[in-house]
This record gives sequence, structure tokens and C-alpha cells, in this order.
Amino acid sequence: MTLRRPLLVLVALVLALAAFACGGATSARRITVWHAYRGDEERALKEVAARYEVERGVKVTLLSVPFDAYLSKLQAAVPRGNGPDVFIDAHGRLGTFTKEGLVADASGAIGEADVARFDETSVRALTQDGKRWGVPLATKCLALFVNTRLVTSEIATLEDVQKLRATLPASAVPLAYEAHTTYYHVPFLHAFGAELLGSAGDFAMVGRGAEDSVALVRDLTKDHVVPDEPSGALVKQLFVQGQAAVVISGPWLLSELRDEVPFKVQPLPTVAKTGKKMRPYLTVEAAFVTPDGAGKPDAVGFARWLGDDASARTRALVGKQVVATKSAWADPEVARSSALAAFHAAAADAVPTPTSTRLQATWVPADQAIKKVLRGEAEPKAALDEAKARFDDVMRPPPPSPSPAPVMLLAGGALLALAYFGVRRARAPGFRAELTRSLPVYRYVIHAVVTVCVLVVLPLVAGAATSFFAGGRGETRFVGFENYAQILTARGGALLGHGSFYLTLLVTILWTVLNVAAHVGIGLALGLALARPWLRLKAVWRVLLILPWAVPSYVTAVAWKGMFHRQFGAMNAILTAVGAPPVSWFSHFSTAFTANLLTNVWLGFPFMMVVTLGALTSIPKDVLEAAEVDGATRWQRFRHVTAPLLLPQLLPSIMLGSVWTFNMFNVVFLVSGGEPDGTTDILVSEAYRWAFTRDSQYGYAAAYAVLIFLLLFVATRLLGARVDRAKAKVA
Amino acid sequence: MSAMTEAAEEREPRAKASVEETPLPASAPRPIRCAARGVKKAFGKTQILKGVDLEIAEGSFAVLVGPSGCGKSTLLRLVAGLEEADEGKLEIAGRDVTRAPPRDRDIAMVFQSYALYPHLSVRDNLAFGLRLKKTPQAEIDKRIDEASQMLGLGHLLDRLPKQLSGGQRQRVAMGRAIVRRPNLFLFDEPLSNLDAALRAEVRVEIRRMHERLGATTLYVTHDQVEAMTLADTLWVLNGGLVEQKGAPLDVYARPRTKFVATFLGSPQMNLAEGKLQKASGGGFVAEGGGMALEVDVERFGAALEDGREVALGVRPHDLRVAQPGESPSLELRVEIVEALGFEAYAYGWAKASGPRVIVRLEAEHARRARPGDVIPLVAPPEHVHLFCQKSGVALDAE
Ligand SMILES: Nc1ncnc2c1ncn2[C@@H]1O[C@H](COP(=O)(O)OP(=O)(O)OP(=O)(O)O)[C@@H](O)[C@H]1O
Ligand SMILES: [Mg+2]
Repeated sequence: MTLRRPLLVLVALVLALAAFACGGATSARRITVWHAYRGDEERALKEVAARYEVERGVKVTLLSVPFDAYLSKLQAAVPRGNGPDVFIDAHGRLGTFTKEGLVADASGAIGEADVARFDETSVRALTQDGKRWGVPLATKCLALFVNTRLVTSEIATLEDVQKLRATLPASAVPLAYEAHTTYYHVPFLHAFGAELLGSAGDFAMVGRGAEDSVALVRDLTKDHVVPDEPSGALVKQLFVQGQAAVVISGPWLLSELRDEVPFKVQPLPTVAKTGKKMRPYLTVEAAFVTPDGAGKPDAVGFARWLGDDASARTRALVGKQVVATKSAWADPEVARSSALAAFHAAAADAVPTPTSTRLQATWVPADQAIKKVLRGEAEPKAALDEAKARFDDVMRPPPPSPSPAPVMLLAGGALLALAYFGVRRARAPGFRAELTRSLPVYRYVIHAVVTVCVLVVLPLVAGAATSFFAGGRGETRFVGFENYAQILTARGGALLGHGSFYLTLLVTILWTVLNVAAHVGIGLALGLALARPWLRLKAVWRVLLILPWAVPSYVTAVAWKGMFHRQFGAMNAILTAVGAPPVSWFSHFSTAFTANLLTNVWLGFPFMMVVTLGALTSIPKDVLEAAEVDGATRWQRFRHVTAPLLLPQLLPSIMLGSVWTFNMFNVVFLVSGGEPDGTTDILVSEAYRWAFTRDSQYGYAAAYAVLIFLLLFVATRLLGARVDRAKAKVA
Repeated sequence: MSAMTEAAEEREPRAKASVEETPLPASAPRPIRCAARGVKKAFGKTQILKGVDLEIAEGSFAVLVGPSGCGKSTLLRLVAGLEEADEGKLEIAGRDVTRAPPRDRDIAMVFQSYALYPHLSVRDNLAFGLRLKKTPQAEIDKRIDEASQMLGLGHLLDRLPKQLSGGQRQRVAMGRAIVRRPNLFLFDEPLSNLDAALRAEVRVEIRRMHERLGATTLYVTHDQVEAMTLADTLWVLNGGLVEQKGAPLDVYARPRTKFVATFLGSPQMNLAEGKLQKASGGGFVAEGGGMALEVDVERFGAALEDGREVALGVRPHDLRVAQPGESPSLELRVEIVEALGFEAYAYGWAKASGPRVIVRLEAEHARRARPGDVIPLVAPPEHVHLFCQKSGVALDAE
């Protein structure tokens, strides 16, 4: 009787699904397209799709997928057959797409005869293993933005830019670009005949040319041709305020410029010394057809449609894209935008970004090397060799699969033990009776148990299981305890060597201890101050002091990062105001660590303050009065009564705070980002690097995560026992 | 002779005698005087104390009573230095301490909630104040020893407060005060959290402690038995002012106001509104509420006027059953009888519309009384109280 209703609902659902599926099958003239466009680009795409619908009578469903989740959604949806038919993405991920079978050969959409209709480089970027995998739509690459008010001469070479130093006022810089970021350094590399990633997927930023390129940038910084540590936001700001004569940036800067300064865009210059052009990396946005879409003529047709002349014209005019379709540039209306045309010209000389997934792992070591040189901490050769060594270390092929015996033994042992205790429990006298008696209770908790299992336990187990595998996505291999062995032996290097687990652990512990001490100290002081009966405007103070906690931590972290900027940050402004020399915050471990610490203390003290305020109310007033009558001064009352009564109440929060701080990824990642040279990284940010900047070595990252979990588990158990003891005494 | 009756009967002389009997260590404080002069205190807009004058003689035990919320604790906290007076002066041992912090007053206080330090053992609770004063450890041990012997805390010294019963905690709180050897002891309803039996026991202990130490004491309570049995001097506080002070039995026997009359004594004094009438033979009779009470002309003297409107009162204990042939002062129609064994309280009316009248019956009468009975009662003139109907002040105190 009770079962009938759910059964009926189930049957109805199945029928509905079947009907839906049949319906889907009959209306084949319907395609789904994914993109990550916004604003003008999205408008242009909609216009193009609407025309396709009218002309071909096909329903096009456009789905805007957030950029951050784009790849993971594709990876999740396409293999299960519920992904898009066509999607638009940058060619840089082509390696991943082909490796994981997310795309189909697009020759149907761009045949041999069509190749000539597109820019040659863009087609080349989409060609792999002799096949064309997508229809090139638009390109993005770096170019030179020239402030025409400050610069009247022609800029043909980098040396021309250098010469501007003499004519510009001291407050302005000749050239601004994100000099410490490898992506922006690539044109310099190419101008010196070097490259970032070798054809074999090796770290190629070594040797004479690469060293010279880095040395050149160092000299530019030293001669004040390029400002210190410029972030993207700063570059824009300098340009907009007329304080940078020339900047290197991409088409994204166009949309951010109003008409603050007169400017023109031109391809990057030549380095006269070598006579070679500064060729940036080129990103080609393309329409890809998924294996599902390849079976639908309408989908293939749409990919083709996106690249045709009329669509390209719309995308250029409405979407302000640097379209890869040649014919569009013959259109006088399109050609009128000189900036777009300049980017188009720049694209012709650009080098398509390598599609190998190994490129990802070059950025961090290369960044670190460039920064080291710019700070004068190392010579280019030493820095680049070290970067290569680091790249080679993290990209070391996983060891051969060992026998799964040890893992199996361990798992089997655990299962056996579980079974043993289960059976013993079940055999215990009265177990059945107890079970029947508590059966109704289980009904009340079952949903919670299931939820916790699905949301907490399963991911945990899955994560732990991942740690027994190595290699990136698509080529994972069982390696047993090898990941752990690697981590715990510091990958065969010095135990406290650069980036080793133990060194990072030490940093993490230092980080946690200092932070929690500061949180508790400041929180306690403020909590006590706020509890004073004579304090006026108490509510206002309380709200103000809780504010840092209420702001999302990444917003705060980004704001603080800005404050620590060497040239333009508030911290150095204060230091110079009081006559102290400015500090290059992120060049030394101690200062970078302090910057992280200050940020996290700012984020963390309100919590402790609130906890203190709460705990203070539980201290009986008359006990404090008794102490007062007993002759205690204010300090003695705090020392001998308040503190000992408060501490047991604070311990759980301190424990919680320690765990949070131990894993405080946001601050470390966003403020110092591990600088200098990865020394301020803590265990979680290190785990993140393995998963997301070192060719997706999820297994290795998972092993880190499991180790973090075990460390915290043991630590909290030990601390928890103390808390219980302390509490038992007073409560 | 139990300490209780001893305390009730005897006043200051006995206390001093005891001090001489049990010699105290040389460091024991000399008894001091404590005084409050015109002390006023308001919390926000509510005036709690409206000018209190208080004077405690050297080594005497003063008890402060009054209805709930009349400001007893406030006054005590002012003396302790936990609150500051708005106006007036506080003196301890002849020194003006009005603005001095508690630690400069040399006082000890026993709180109603005991206020033991929850994280410290009994021993450390006792030692707390001494350690703050940097007393040598040997001296601390000695004093703890003494105090724990006096209060029977010996076996509890290593326990935490939460491992003690209410009575034990109370004793620790007293011990904490004793070891300090203060000039002045302050108690704020120290017994109110104990059950009746324990209360009686500790009450005796407090009196005995006082007799041994001879320290000046200010004790706040709203329990009359405590007030009557402990006090050398009783101070009745009402509405932020001292309404009457004096030896407890005097206050009981000669209440200065209607408030004091009803506040002290249990069950309450029977009161009725009525009129004075001249009787044949120069005497006066107070009539009201169905009662006609002969009054003590000598006591009230000139205040007696024919026809004057008064409140007349007589305590339940002072009424007795009329002898056969004796003319009764009132006839009580019994409604309820509360039998307590050898005595009984009968509740009823002397007149249908009059106020309730209570009488204590003894022996034979107590056993025989039933609801519905009419009992003829006589009030001896020396126990009849008269108050001005308007001001509530006793006619002999006007
Ligand atoms: N800190 C304070 N702030 C405001 N009002 C207070 C404060 N302390 C006491 N009062 C008020 O002052 C009045 C007297 O309080 P007090 O505690 O002295 O009364 P009490 O005579 O001790 O009463 P009880 O017999 O109930 O203990 C009460 O009305 C109380 O509400
Ligand atoms: Mg009180």
C-alpha cells in the first residue's frame, strides 16, 4: 500500500523520459552550441546563429558556459553524449581535446578548398597529425599600444622604445608590460631565436638566446625603461594615465580603453640586435565539432557557417573580433578599425601557442626564473637551468606500475578488520533485540547518513583512491604507494630542498602557528576591549571589527596584494611617508611571508574576537568580583581568572582556526602566490600546483591531500584530547 | 545551651567574651568600625539608595534586612568597593574609603552564589587572596589549615568546586574570607541557596565564627530568622532609607513603623484600621476589624486621643484564648487551622468584612480547634501596637 505511490511516480517518470527521448530523436534538426563569450562577442554569435536558423530551419541552442568551468564541463559531458554538438574554444586545449576524444576531425567543415579562405597561421594552429580539427574564427595575440601623444616617431625596433627614455619625463615609462610573466616574455624569446616549449615537449627556454632575452629585460628594468613588477591592472592604469608611452597587451585592453589617450596599435617591434621580430604566442578561437556533432550535418554545417564570409563580417563588426576569415578584411567597414587591423597584422607573424598539455607546466618555473633574474638574485643562465631542472623534475614520467599487492593488502586488511568487528558486534548478546528496537530511529537518520556519504565520504574515498595513480588525465596509471614514496623522500632530492614536502611542511607549520597566535592575541585583546562596560558605540565598533570577516577572503586578498606592490602599494607609501625605505615585498621570503601573514591576520582576527566575546559572557561576573575583593588588580584578574576560564572555551575555535589556516589557500595563492620562488607556498597551494599547473598530476596532488588530511587528523585528535581534559576541569 | 538560643539571647558582651576565651594569632585584625554617611546611589534614573546612614561598632555583627529590591546588596557592594557611591561617604577603620578600590579596603565578602574560582581547587581558592598579597607559603599553609579545621574542609582541599555540594561550597566561600583575616566581613545572603536544615546549621556556624574571630561583620539577608538570631544590631532598610535600627528583640517588640511591624515576625502581625475610644476608668480601647483592644496608656501617653483614627496591631503569638468569664477582645471565627504538633495557627475573621486575623494556639486549644469554631481571644494591652493611619509611624515613636 505504501509502496504503490512511489511506484506509480516511477513508472510515470520512465514513460515521460521515453517520450522525451523519442521526441528528441524525431526532431533531429536541433543542435546545441557551447561558448564562453560575453558582451559584444556573444551578441555577434547570436546574430550569426539566428541567421543560420532562418536559412537552414535548424534550431540552434546557444549555451554560455562560464570560462572557469568550461574544460571540466566538456570533459564531463562529451564522453557521456550529453555535451554540445559544436563548441567554441581556444586552440591551446586542442592537445587535451584530441587526447581525450572530445573533438572530431573537422575536415567536413573546413575542407581542403577552404584552407585558403583563412589566415594561414590560424589554420596551422588547428592542424595536428595532418588533420584539421576546427574552423578558425578569431585570433588573439599581443601587440604594441602606442600613446601617440607621447610618441611621435615611428617605433620599428625595441631599441626605438628604449630611446624614448631620454625624451620622456621621469614620471613616465617608455614601456609597460607584465615583464615577470612568461606569456609576455615569449615574444622576447622568439626575437632571440629561442622558444619556451621544444618540439619534444621539453623545457626549451635555456641556452644562449633565452639567457640573452632575459638579460635584456633585466637591463630594461634596470634602466627604468620598464617599471617594477607591473600587474595587468597597473599596465592599463599607466597607459590610461599617460604614464606609459608604449604598452604590450592584447585585444582585451581595447575594450577597456575609452578615449583617455590617443593611441594606435601596431605589431610588436623587431629587436635590432638580433634582427628578429618579437613574435608573440597566438591563440586561435575555433569552432570544434564533437564526435556526436560530427554525425549531424546540421552541426558540421554550423561550424562551417561560423567561419563563412558573412558571419565573419558580423563577428568583426558586432563582436569586434580579429576574425581569421580573410575576406572580412577586404570589407571597407571592417578595415576602418585600424586597431583590429593591426591585431590582424600582428597575428600573421605570431606563433601559434603549442597545443601540448606540457606547456602548462612551463609557466611556473619560467616565471620564477624571470623573477629571480629581474630581482638580481641570479644570473640568467643559472636561473634558467634551475627552471629546466624543476620542469624536468615535476614532469618526470611516472614509475612503472608496481604490483598492486601492497595497496590491495592494506585495503583487504582494513576490510577484514571491519568485517571482524562487524561480526563481533553482531554476535554480541542482545544485538538483534537492540537492532529491532532502534530500527525506527534509523529511519530518521538514514537521509542524513546517505547525504553525508554521498557528499563527504565518497569524495574523500575517491580522492584517496586517486592518490594511487599517476600521470595526467587520459593516461593515468596505477602506481601504488609510489606518489607517497616520492613525496616523503622529497623526490630523491635534499630533504629540505626547494619545494620538498618537508620544507613546505615547515613553512606551513610556521604559517599556522604565527597566524593563530596573532588571531588569538588580537581577537582576545579586542574581545576584552569590546566587553568593557564603559565603551561607547559598542555596536558600531563590533560591526566595524567584524567587517574584514564579512568580505569574501579572495576580495580581501587581492586588495592586500595591491597594497604590497613595490612601486604603487599603500604599504610602501606609508613606509616612505615615515622615512623608511620602500620594501620589495615579494622578493624575500621574510617579507613575502609577512605580507601573507598580515593579510591572513586581518582576515582571521574577527572570528577569534567574536568567539572571545561569546566566551567572556560565560565567565560569571561575581567570580571576577570575588577576585577584585580578594585584592586582585585588573591584570591579575585577567591572568588568574579570566584567562584560565577563557582558554578551554577558546581551544575548539583555536583548533578550527588552525585547520583553516593550515589550508588557507586563498591568501597564499592570491597574495604572494608562492613568491619568491615558491618558498612561501604551503602544503595546499603546493598540492594545487601539482593538480593544475603541472600537467594535471591529480594523483600526486591527491597524495598531498591525503597527507594533509592525515596530519590534521592526528593533530586535531591530540589537541582534542587536551580540550576535553581542560573542559572537564571547569565545566 | 545551643548556639542559636545563645545568639538570640545574648548580644555584644558575649561576642567579646568569646574573643578573649580563644586566643587568636597575633596577626588577627583589631576590630574596626565601619560607617556609611548619607550614601546615595542611583542606577540610571532609578534612585536606589536615598541617603543611608549606617554605623557598625567595633567587632559587632550588623544585619541588614529589607524587602527584595530595596538596595541591600547595593549598599553592601558600595561598602565592598564594587560600586561607587554617587554621594555620601564610606569609612572603614576611620579611613575615608569612598573612592578606594576593593583591594585597599581590607575586606572579605561571601557572595550569595559563593563565586568560587571554578578552575582552582579548594586549597587554591583559599590561597588566592593570600598569594596575591605575596604571603609566605608557610603562612598560607597555616591559615588554610586553621580555616579548614574550623569549617571542616580538611578532606575537600584537593577537590574542584564543581565536585562539592552546596553546603560545602558555602563553607569554602566562608573559608576564603576567613583566611584573609580582613578588617570587615561582608555577607550577601550567604545561606539563601541552601535547604532549610543546612541553613540552620550554617547559621550557627557563622555566629560561632564571628564569636571566635570577633571581626566586624555586615550581613545582608531577607530571612528573618537569620536576622533575629545573628544580629547584634538590626538595620531595616526600606525604600532606600533606614527605617529602623536597634537590637533585634527591641525592633521586634517596638516596631517603629507599620512596615517594620509586618516585615518582622512570622506569621505577620494582625493589623486593622480603627478608632481610639476612651473607656471608663481613663483607659483607651482601639476598635476596628471586629476587635476591641485595650491599649497601654503608659506606652502611648499623650498620643492617645478620643476618636483618633489608628491602625491597631497585635501579633498572632500575643493573642491568648479568653478564660471562662473573661471578656474577650475579639471573637475569631476560624476558617482554617494549620496544626504543627504542639501548636497551631488558626486563620479567620473577627468580623465578616474585616481583615484576616491569625492566632497561635497552644496545647489543648491547638488540638481542639476546628474550622467553624468561634474562639474568644484576649490581647494583653502591653502587646497592642498602634500606628498613625496616615504616616504608618507608631504612636509612641511620633
Ligand atoms: N547594576 C545595576 N544596574 C541597574 N539596576 C540595578 C543594578 N544593580 C541593582 N539594580 C537595581 O537596584 C535595585 C536594588 O537592587 P539590590 O540588588 O540592591 O536589591 P536587594 O535589596 O539586594 O534585593 P534582593 O533581596 O532581591 O537581593 C533593584 O531594583 C535592582 O534591579
Ligand atoms: Mg541582594
